[in-house]
Amino acid sequence: MQSKETSTPQIKRSKLPKQIRQGFGIIVLLLILWRLYLVFGVEQEYTVDIWARLLISGLVIGGVYSLIAIGYTLVYGILRMINFAHGEVMMVGTFAGYLVLEATKSITVPTPDNSLLSFSNAYPIISVILAFAIGMLIAATTGYFLEKIAYRPLRKAPRLIPLISAIGASIFLQNFAQLLFSPQTRDYVNPDIISRGAGWTMMINDSKVILPYTGVLTFVLSILLMIGLYTMIKKTKLGKAMRSVAMDKQTAALMGIDVNVIISRTFIISGALAGAAGVMWGLHNGLVYYFVGFLPGIKAFTAAVMGGIGNIPGAMLGGMLLGLMESLGPTALGISYQLKDVISFVILIVILIFRPNGILGEALSEEKV
Amino acid sequence: MNEIAIKVDQVSKIFGGLTAVNQVNLEIPQKTIYSIIGPNGAGKTTLFNCISGFYVPEKGKILYFGQEIQGLSTDLIASVGISRTYQNIRLFSNLTALENIMIGLHPKFRSNWVDAIVHSPRYLREDKETKQEAIRLLNFVGLAGYGDYLAFNLPYGVQRRLEIGRALANQPRILLLDEPTAGMNMQETQSTTEFIKKLRDDLGITIILIEHDMQVVMGISDRISVLDYGTKIAEGNAAEVQSNPKVIEAYLGPGGAALAEKFQKQRRSNVKSH
Amino acid sequence: MNRQEFQKFSQHGLVFAIIMIFLVLVDFQTMFATVISKILGTNVLRGGLPEVQYMVIFLVLYSLWMGWFISRKEENKSRRIIMTLVASLTAGVVVGLFGLILNSLIQSGTDVRRYLAALSPESMKLFLLNLDGLGPLALLGVFTVSGLLGGVLSIILQSPSVGKWPKTIKTGISSTWQKFTGSLPPFIRKNAKYLAYLVLGIVIIVLPTRWGSYNNFVTGLVGLYIILGIGLNIIVGLSGQLVLGFAAFFAMGAYSMALLNAPLPHGLMWGFWPALLVGVLMAVVAAILLGLPMMRLRGDYLAIVTLGFGEIIRILLKSDLLSDFSGGPRGIQDIKGPTIFGLPFNNDVQFTYLIIAGVILAIFVYNRLENSRTGRAWLAIKEDAIAARATGINVQRNKLLALCIGAAFAGLAGAFFAARNQFTGPNDHTLMVSINILSIVIVGGMNSIPGIILGAFTLKGLPEILREMENYRLLVFGGLLVFMMIARPEGLWPAKRPQLEKKIKPDTRDGDTPGKGDKNE
Repeated sequence: MQSKETSTPQIKRSKLPKQIRQGFGIIVLLLILWRLYLVFGVEQEYTVDIWARLLISGLVIGGVYSLIAIGYTLVYGILRMINFAHGEVMMVGTFAGYLVLEATKSITVPTPDNSLLSFSNAYPIISVILAFAIGMLIAATTGYFLEKIAYRPLRKAPRLIPLISAIGASIFLQNFAQLLFSPQTRDYVNPDIISRGAGWTMMINDSKVILPYTGVLTFVLSILLMIGLYTMIKKTKLGKAMRSVAMDKQTAALMGIDVNVIISRTFIISGALAGAAGVMWGLHNGLVYYFVGFLPGIKAFTAAVMGGIGNIPGAMLGGMLLGLMESLGPTALGISYQLKDVISFVILIVILIFRPNGILGEALSEEKV
Repeated sequence: MNEIAIKVDQVSKIFGGLTAVNQVNLEIPQKTIYSIIGPNGAGKTTLFNCISGFYVPEKGKILYFGQEIQGLSTDLIASVGISRTYQNIRLFSNLTALENIMIGLHPKFRSNWVDAIVHSPRYLREDKETKQEAIRLLNFVGLAGYGDYLAFNLPYGVQRRLEIGRALANQPRILLLDEPTAGMNMQETQSTTEFIKKLRDDLGITIILIEHDMQVVMGISDRISVLDYGTKIAEGNAAEVQSNPKVIEAYLGPGGAALAEKFQKQRRSNVKSH
Repeated sequence: MNRQEFQKFSQHGLVFAIIMIFLVLVDFQTMFATVISKILGTNVLRGGLPEVQYMVIFLVLYSLWMGWFISRKEENKSRRIIMTLVASLTAGVVVGLFGLILNSLIQSGTDVRRYLAALSPESMKLFLLNLDGLGPLALLGVFTVSGLLGGVLSIILQSPSVGKWPKTIKTGISSTWQKFTGSLPPFIRKNAKYLAYLVLGIVIIVLPTRWGSYNNFVTGLVGLYIILGIGLNIIVGLSGQLVLGFAAFFAMGAYSMALLNAPLPHGLMWGFWPALLVGVLMAVVAAILLGLPMMRLRGDYLAIVTLGFGEIIRILLKSDLLSDFSGGPRGIQDIKGPTIFGLPFNNDVQFTYLIIAGVILAIFVYNRLENSRTGRAWLAIKEDAIAARATGINVQRNKLLALCIGAAFAGLAGAFFAARNQFTGPNDHTLMVSINILSIVIVGGMNSIPGIILGAFTLKGLPEILREMENYRLLVFGGLLVFMMIARPEGLWPAKRPQLEKKIKPDTRDGDTPGKGDKNE
């Protein structure tokens, strides 16, 4: 039996897009390699001590980025939304720490030698701990209310809606801080013994390399916080509940988990981490103003995506990587330090070309049929 | 004998360590209703996804009227005439029913964005055809009057019909239906079954069917294949498959064949005694 | 009323009191009183304070709203009264206590402005209604009384006899309207649509020459943002790709215009129209360069990559690396406007016409695309990319197409923008610009042209007009975005899907088109 439509349409294969995509990535990679070759192989302009300095600052910044990136990743994992206002939560933490340090500076505890000794110089450890505690507390509160006011009513809305709400909240918080504290840039008042610039001095290649106390504090504290968070997620009941809510909200609710409470706590945790990052930022970089959270926020978000958003080790890795790239990149590629952000974004694009879900990210079930 | 519309040749699909489809062979003649049955997780939908291009099988070939199609992009496979529906309905839910069908007509026409902006003669002609054809299809699947409803507002059965309508829009030669009667009541199932028959008889479409409702399967299939754990365990017409002990075992577990025989004997004796 | 309820009600009051305190901390209340004063006819000098009665009006309005808001959902009337009483009393007490603190600050003469920049002694005094020690008491009184009044008002407004008012007014208006249209001659009735266009056209032609250059400046800005909004809507609203770096394409257009039609740094002076064309093309090229490698990424990843792309472009334009080429942070000045038939276009009026023409073009193109084969393919991709692919739509190509067309609009707007301001610099193309455009699209209503126009007027036009709010503009903007998303996520003027089935002529409906055996039903 012959049907009238036996001639099937001719099928043409084309796989061009994939090749273009990867070709693009390979070209960028080759360019980077070429620059690296020029800087390291031919010019050899920079000595080991310079690299050591850059490495130190990269690790410190990387630690801060990691902490903020974890906040993004935690929230994304649970709500599948970009918490665009997360950088502002960090800014709130920075300001809170600033105010605490100002307060401790202004209280005097007279001693026989020095009648004008301030509290923060008399008890530097206590005042720094206080700054961190209050910074984290205020930032966590901000995160909690942020979720309650701006995100919770939008739980079931299409994806763009919470994003716009988050952008709105971010603009609101920034401008509130600006109006409250005025747009001027203020100096963070560190206790004298950990003032910026002070640190252990090392001699590398006959030149001084300073390992700043604030940097060490920042790095060690961020590592400790990350370890703490990771154990909490893996070991505690709350961590288990968070993981199950991230996997499937409905089933988690059926298992007797109060999803709203878990989401609130996630925001509190990520807020506290951002607050800690904010105080670190202030102690190490020394400046505080209403816009202070914006760039670190965007960078940390980039870091979270780089590592695979939703994945906590990915966020840590991405943060460290981004910090190092930002710090080492311009010198290693022999270009202006102004372009450090360009480097990080280009690297992000290259990573996403070869690993569309980030370094450690797994393909989400979205593509499943 | 009809020409072979789809030939699945030694196809395997592996996810991680799990072999979802294991060296399956199928030959599906043109203008038949060919059912694929099997317990849950037997790899039926995975096989559909391989045919429609969502997955690329690790091994084996899929031939569409003699041409290899494995590894081609989904949109290309769809536009050469393999349409499908989904186990959990995938309509464009914020668009109207008519628009859903109009989107289904996409591969039939050629006008591009420039045509649309300048309203070229080709665009005007195709636009008119699109609208009329969409209305005709809407009537054909029995949804006249539902055209301006948003798809997510439609009742469940109507959504299934609409999905078939959308799949029919690009005049497919092969239609893959993934559980078209799931969740329907007896009456709806009956009318859907009739409708599927009509697709084969009137339009000459080859239909590949995944279905759990055995009454539907046995009633309309020209040929049936049974999958279990990704492997084809039986093939034949309704009667052959029903009596195949392997099939019964797959559904009822080991020892199932003996059990089923016992029940059947019992039933026969019951009938006799009445 | 039991203790729990008491706690709940006083919590409501507490929330409003805390909001009030936050407002006072940023001196919002003085701005609002100034606006009220302006509306009621008394202009306040720049930097001066409004008179005290306007502050009272603001506080009364605030607590009326509080009373109404708290009690609006309660059925039982007596409970309602108790509820508002408890809440307003709580709010009054808390605000009063806050007033006491403020008063003691004033009395002790401490200047807190080093930390809380907005709290000047004068505005604190004004908030205490110039009553010093009695101020806190007065605040307590105002909050309690007018809060209660708000509750009573809500009862009256929701009572059945008053509840019908809006409906009565509505039907009244529509019946009058019908009477009015019925009395018109048939010629007008038949061609009402075209006449409306005619009137609109005359308004558009006449208005820019009449209402001064500042209004033209604002209109032009709004027009540019409408073009940008329509462009972004093609990408986000139609094809469903979240792009956060739209300003990059805007920058492409603006800088092409600037580099090709300004005396410095290159002195090319190609003229406006070729530069415009190049601007649009450059934007499209940028879209292709970005789109080709990135089209396969999932939504949020695309968002961050486009955001990064926008930043890359901005940083490059600002950097020393390109400062010889693109003017660096200083930007490019003296960009020349167009000439049409030998007439130079230099002032705001003429540019307004040009921008309106651009807006009309954008709307035209958008409308033609939305209801075409391409537009439907985009919508299908937005709804469900996988199902779209399985209906034979080439998802990547169509996404890229949407990105390119959207970018072309941005290039157009950018070129206009640079030529109109006769200047462009890296700060015209920040992330905030991208976010503003996205907000316009979403606040106005995705896929709805009237919505986008309305959104552009609300988000770009209103703040320009309400100059008193200058400092608070972005604060209000941010708050409004959150509020809008919660209260009206579909936008100010939501889109509707076209109702096609009714429109297609019946004679084609039951026609026996040959081909398929259509013997159904």
